Amino acid sequence: MGNFKKDLEQLKRYRENNDRKSREVVQLWENSISVNIENLGKEKHIVLEQVCIAAADTFRLNIAQRCIQELYRDFPNSSRVRVLESMVYEADENYPKALQILNDIIKHDNTNSAAKKRKIAIFKALGRYPEAIKELTEYLKTFMADVEAWQELSELYLNEHDYSKAAFCVEELILHNPHNHLLHQRYADIKYTHGGIENLEIAKTYYYQTLKLNPKNIRALFGIYLTTTALLNSQKNMPQKKKDSAQKAAEWSIKQIKKRYAEENNVDHIQKSLAALEI
Amino acid sequence: MTADLIVDPQIRFWVFLPIVIITFLVGILRHYVSMLLSSQKKVEVQQLADSQLILRARALRENCGYIPKNSFLIRRQAFNKEDGYLMQKRPPVTQNMMTDPSMMTDMLKGNLTNVLPMIIIGGWINWMFSGFITTKVPFPLTLRFKSMLQRGIELSHLDASWVSSASWYFLNVFGLRSIYTLVLGENNAADQSRQMQEQMQMTGAASVMPADPKVPFKAEWEGLEIVEHQWKLADIEKEMLQE
Amino acid sequence: MSNKTKNEPVIAYSELAIRNNLSIVEYCRTSLAAVSGCTAGVLGLTGSYGAIFFILAVTSFWLMLLCKAGVDSWKKFFISRKSLLLNGLFGHFFTYILCWTFIYGMVHVY
Repeated sequence: MGNFKKDLEQLKRYRENNDRKSREVVQLWENSISVNIENLGKEKHIVLEQVCIAAADTFRLNIAQRCIQELYRDFPNSSRVRVLESMVYEADENYPKALQILNDIIKHDNTNSAAKKRKIAIFKALGRYPEAIKELTEYLKTFMADVEAWQELSELYLNEHDYSKAAFCVEELILHNPHNHLLHQRYADIKYTHGGIENLEIAKTYYYQTLKLNPKNIRALFGIYLTTTALLNSQKNMPQKKKDSAQKAAEWSIKQIKKRYAEENNVDHIQKSLAALEI
Repeated sequence: MTADLIVDPQIRFWVFLPIVIITFLVGILRHYVSMLLSSQKKVEVQQLADSQLILRARALRENCGYIPKNSFLIRRQAFNKEDGYLMQKRPPVTQNMMTDPSMMTDMLKGNLTNVLPMIIIGGWINWMFSGFITTKVPFPLTLRFKSMLQRGIELSHLDASWVSSASWYFLNVFGLRSIYTLVLGENNAADQSRQMQEQMQMTGAASVMPADPKVPFKAEWEGLEIVEHQWKLADIEKEMLQE
Repeated sequence: MSNKTKNEPVIAYSELAIRNNLSIVEYCRTSLAAVSGCTAGVLGLTGSYGAIFFILAVTSFWLMLLCKAGVDSWKKFFISRKSLLLNGLFGHFFTYILCWTFIYGMVHVY
């Protein structure tokens, strides 16, 4: 019983931190939760939902099926459970069936954002990117403040190498969350990749902003170095004064990087900071 | 004790305590009944889109300093141009209010859980426990409070700090509010007084949700027109290098 | 609970975390008002003694809260120290009076 309590706490922690630890969740389910479903009390449904998603993620379809059955027993007409069901079909690569369920839900309730998002995810899984983009822009016309959707759209555009549109999406993200250094960094990355003197200038500025928000961001330092050297190389007739300052900035950034590496010269640390760079 | 007036201890068990318990339990009951009756509001896509649009416009207005000027101008143009997002025409919703049956039932349910128990329980308590002196507030009060605290008792020489049963009930109704937040969590439906206020507002102007998006749209439009774009990152390179 | 802080004097708070903190504090303060009201009732305080007791309780709770948050680090959790003391004081006083009157009536009047 003590174990069970502890596992529940662990699950709750995963939920709150939005961790994608599907393997661990399924493990916990098998350890203690599955025999204690009736003892879950208030948390029962939310735990079942969590486990179901995790099980679909790790292709443990029988566990997912069982969760859905439990949920259906309590909420026979819930669209939320039906979305889960479609997710399981999706995991099983039975896309037509999943799409059918989702279309049904949307026809019933035009405001169901979860179903619409799943539909876009299916298009993405099928590799039909243009269609996914079209659906997603359509979705964003209604749910304009959905930050997740903007992020997804920016990634889809990046896949299509449409940098200016991706940058637009990231700008939208920055507007909603101006203190997240990763967003600024992503914006700078996109601008840098896009190329052109103006974009490089913007990229450089945003790398500085990233560094200001998070002084530990080594990628931003490296970005500063790359952008300034690129600017130095691309502009032949740059005024001398500007050239000097750019040179200085490049030197400064490379010095900073070297210093940082000298400080933390073990592999563990580097791996950790690399992991922190994922959005 | 300064009990210049001796009150029958029976009153304590048969009047004073029951009133507290009844008001408390009725509050809890109301919470659950309104939970039972509350229907999930069917949200129109248009309404949802409008509220999200306002959110987005607000985010743009507040944090525009973090994106380059060009990007800001593009967005403002999209929002504020002649047929931009914020200039869209919407059919007036207020007329629907009376014709829409779901709106009517919602209002009815609101009345059912708000006003009705207030009247019924209040009347019942007044009838059942009328005319008792129940308690004494432990602090002196001026005569001005007499009419407030001694409803139902017309004794001109009684000290103002004695409380009659009807007034004790009303004290409970308004005072138990924070206790409900403790017991039922926030945003509970037991809180009569707050809902009364809301209802007053509802009859006055619009309801909580923006029934008519024109007004907030107009406000956001003006806000966006006025806002002056200042790129917060213009001097950041110098700033960072100086350190 | 607390949020990222920049090395600049500008400090960014996470709105959600702040709201969560405030709602927890609110919960504590309501409980405090109720409990201190009951205490005052049992003790049989009357008149201005009751008011003084309330002020004492609220202030000591405020000090305890600051101690708990850390004398130097409270800025991480709350935006303003003053609003922590004064927010919704009147509403809590009402709760206090109710509990006080109730218990006083139960114990001392009859």
